[in-house]
Amino acid sequence: MSRSRTPVLLIAALLAPALIGLVVFRLYPVGLAISDSLFNMVRGQQIFVGLDNYLSLLTDRTFWKSMQVTLWFNLLINPIQIALALGLALLYVQNFKGVTLYRVLFLIPIGVSLPTAVIIWRIMLTQDGLVNGLVGIAGVPAQPWLTSESLALYSIIAIATWKGISYWMIFIIGGLQTIAPEIYDAARIDGVKSWQRLIFITIPLLRPTLLFVLVADVTINFLLFAPIFMLTQGGPADSTNVLMYEAYKSGFIFGDMGRAMAIIVVVVAILLVIVGLQFKLLSNREARS
Amino acid sequence: MKITQFAIAAGLAAGLLAGTALAQEKTLTMIVIEGGDTTAMQAVVDAYKAEHPDVAINLQPYPFAQFFQVAELRLRSAETGIDLVYVDAPLLASYASRGFLSPIDAAIDTSALVPAALDAGRYEGTQFALPINNSAQVLYFNKALFEAAGITPPAGLTEGETASQVEVDTLASSERWTWEQVAEAARALTVFEGGRTTTYGFTVEQFGELYQLQPFGESLGSPVIGPDGYTAAGYLDSEAWTKGATFWGNLYNEWAVSPKSLGYGEAASLFGNGQLAMFAGGTWNLPILSATDVDFGVAPYPYFEGGSVVTPTGSWYVGVNAASANQAEAMAFASYLTTSDAGTKVWFDSLQQLPTYTPLLDTISTSADYDAFPQNVFRLGVYDSLNTAKARPVTAAYGQLQDAFRTAFVDIANGVPVADALASAVQKFEAAASRVAQ
Amino acid sequence: MSTHAATPKKALSLGLKHLVYLVIAFIFVLPLWWAIVSSLRPNSAIFADIFPFTPKALLPTPPTFEAYAGVFERGFGQIIANTMLVALVTMVAGLVVNGAAGFAFAMFDFKGKKIVLSAIIISFMLPFEAIALPLYTVTQQLGWLDNIAALIVPSVANGLAVFLFYQFFSQVPKDYAEAARLDGVSWLNILMRIYVPLSLPTCISAALLLFIFQWEAFLWPLLAMPSQQFKVIQVGMAAFQQQYQTIWNQLFAVSVITALIPIALLMPLQRYYVQGLAGAGIKG
Repeated sequence: MSRSRTPVLLIAALLAPALIGLVVFRLYPVGLAISDSLFNMVRGQQIFVGLDNYLSLLTDRTFWKSMQVTLWFNLLINPIQIALALGLALLYVQNFKGVTLYRVLFLIPIGVSLPTAVIIWRIMLTQDGLVNGLVGIAGVPAQPWLTSESLALYSIIAIATWKGISYWMIFIIGGLQTIAPEIYDAARIDGVKSWQRLIFITIPLLRPTLLFVLVADVTINFLLFAPIFMLTQGGPADSTNVLMYEAYKSGFIFGDMGRAMAIIVVVVAILLVIVGLQFKLLSNREARS
Repeated sequence: MKITQFAIAAGLAAGLLAGTALAQEKTLTMIVIEGGDTTAMQAVVDAYKAEHPDVAINLQPYPFAQFFQVAELRLRSAETGIDLVYVDAPLLASYASRGFLSPIDAAIDTSALVPAALDAGRYEGTQFALPINNSAQVLYFNKALFEAAGITPPAGLTEGETASQVEVDTLASSERWTWEQVAEAARALTVFEGGRTTTYGFTVEQFGELYQLQPFGESLGSPVIGPDGYTAAGYLDSEAWTKGATFWGNLYNEWAVSPKSLGYGEAASLFGNGQLAMFAGGTWNLPILSATDVDFGVAPYPYFEGGSVVTPTGSWYVGVNAASANQAEAMAFASYLTTSDAGTKVWFDSLQQLPTYTPLLDTISTSADYDAFPQNVFRLGVYDSLNTAKARPVTAAYGQLQDAFRTAFVDIANGVPVADALASAVQKFEAAASRVAQ
Repeated sequence: MSTHAATPKKALSLGLKHLVYLVIAFIFVLPLWWAIVSSLRPNSAIFADIFPFTPKALLPTPPTFEAYAGVFERGFGQIIANTMLVALVTMVAGLVVNGAAGFAFAMFDFKGKKIVLSAIIISFMLPFEAIALPLYTVTQQLGWLDNIAALIVPSVANGLAVFLFYQFFSQVPKDYAEAARLDGVSWLNILMRIYVPLSLPTCISAALLLFIFQWEAFLWPLLAMPSQQFKVIQVGMAAFQQQYQTIWNQLFAVSVITALIPIALLMPLQRYYVQGLAGAGIKG
């Protein structure tokens, strides 16, 4: 039987540890968490309310405003991060004298944890802080980076991008490794220009890696709220109030788990649709041959 | 590694105890805030242990910023692993309404506690927690900066001078500055050079927080929310609050005397560096500021001209987890911590926070140890806590209120029109509160 | 003539290149540089040159190492060792477990594969805050609270890492495996001899993912280790931001130390992921 076309035992052995771990420590808790969205806590009693928590979101102004902020935030941050991470990866793998030093410096944000990065940037971005001091040298007047409705969201995008792109760069470098150098050599001999090589060779061949980075990055950014929690608490005037922060407030500050979980389920549903589309667009495997 | 060592040590200790001690040992667990609070609580635990060798109390400290989240999660899981809970005053109603806390044993004698502090531990007529200590807010001012600007500083307590309780009472009742005076001085003290502010005139320590700003409207005659705990319309958007919030907005915009968005503890840092002339903050800043070389004075918390004097108050409470299997032992320790001469003294000596236990307040008023600065600042706290302190509103939707309030006041500081910000806060609070009020 | 013209042109392009790299490096380094400088100041002087900003804020004047001494007095040596242990064990176990699963998904077709794969994708899409409470209850029922197993075991299986390996292994042409199978090579040998060596860059990426996950873990260690006898870095760092004050210089000292450790671990691996890539990019 060891020659059967699908070695069932082997598959089971390979999959079991990961699947058991994910079911016990992720999917089972996920199930419990989702069921919370069907209950409300009233005077210490869990009361089954069916879809009421979802229905009340339909007329919840704060929720819809927050939805807009979330979608806009993600529409910007994801393409920016991935484009910059790709650019950074291409710079990283260049070979010239002195590049090693730059390579070390490019890795720095990886080790700085998000809360630390946020603390440092908050102080640097205050009205009289370092960043305004630097732009002041260039003659630009001091900007209210985190305290104005028009800038706060973009400042948060910048901080999260600073923190994130080195990390994603590593994955893209790993993907670049799988592209055989001969392909480039052939293209060079044929006189293909460097930007053409990027668009017609590198990016298509990087597709599996880019799909991974895209899915992982979009997921992380949809769920991101720590910088908002620490920097703006959703303000000014709700301009940074993403859905995850709204859910966090409901669940942990207001003690309203029903609404919190309903919001989270909506966020994850949106995420699933987006990720599904990414799979459709990027993973047609025939293109590889 | 460490865990194993710890387990072995604990096992050995347990074995030794089993061999020697006769009484069965009960172990209680308490969640507290990491830092000075834990040190002080450990001191009380040690003192308690000396009197009650049959009870062991394990402290589980959590960082301040995460304490509420962790406490919420663990209490909600209804685990029996927590016996005693450190409760922030305004969260009491939220915990009690959801059945996290046991009613306090009626046999505990609470007659020696400051009535206002005791009341804030009550929800719908039942006592759910006992006050461990109180808080008081004062106005710190930098004497050198006032002198340099040629302005007379507020009457207050300063280095090198002593003050009896009677003198402090006079200071607090008749020489208290108004917010108008603070603003006028702050404008003269603020230094703006080369496009940036190098010295700020004034700030509050807790930027936009209800705890600190509640007197802004209350001093002018309106509570934050109505007596039902769920209505903000007619209160937070009243004329009084509009006036208070306009003053607040002017500090940041029209007059530009206050730095925007300071984090916790940063006001004291700026003040300690001589970059800030005045700030309204808690008495807990005294040891921090005494360690710097700033020459400072302490004045009473201001009020609005024509309004009444209202000052912030309220601090930490102790409660017993409803799921605990050791109710009687936990109640006994809570009582020792808050209503005994010995327990309250150990706590006060270690943490130096304004007590709620009246015999200790009497000591502060009468003992010569509190004549000199900065110890005499506590006498200001005694006066305020007995005369002007106004507790935060008791509502199961306090988290919602605090968030809506902070959002509105931070927005106002950042330039959002007062009426819009307050209207939005009323709408948000009432929408969120209606979900717990049903 | 043309050769003459080429040299200054080359020098110019090299100079331009350095300029681009310098600007990017400056943006990356600036916050950490400021953290380093601040960690070399006494706590009371942290804000002295920053509000308002003066160039002095970027120079430690005069440097003092009291923050670093203070950090180690607080037992941060042990805390860093704890975190290293947790992160490295998770990383090694996670590479094996998730790599095996990714290989199985890429190599074999079986009933229900799509559904299982979707479940794995969903498993990393729920925010940790949402599952913290149920996970706490599960851990409690297993009797793992206050045991380092509670920190390690739930994080070994990682949906993202499975997905990463799956993406890589499905790119490897199946002919390799089929040819080897015809020669009678066992699946295990195929995995170890062919696929693992090919996947080294992916392994590094996955290792980074697993390591950083634990390096930055905060809420879970706080919940899972209630007696706080065994602390990890983020939990230890939270203690610097106290109720009434922040110990800035120590906070920055730990930030600097903890930022440099992952970089120090990554640097020696560099040769595995920039080999043979000299011309891969946009270089002309």
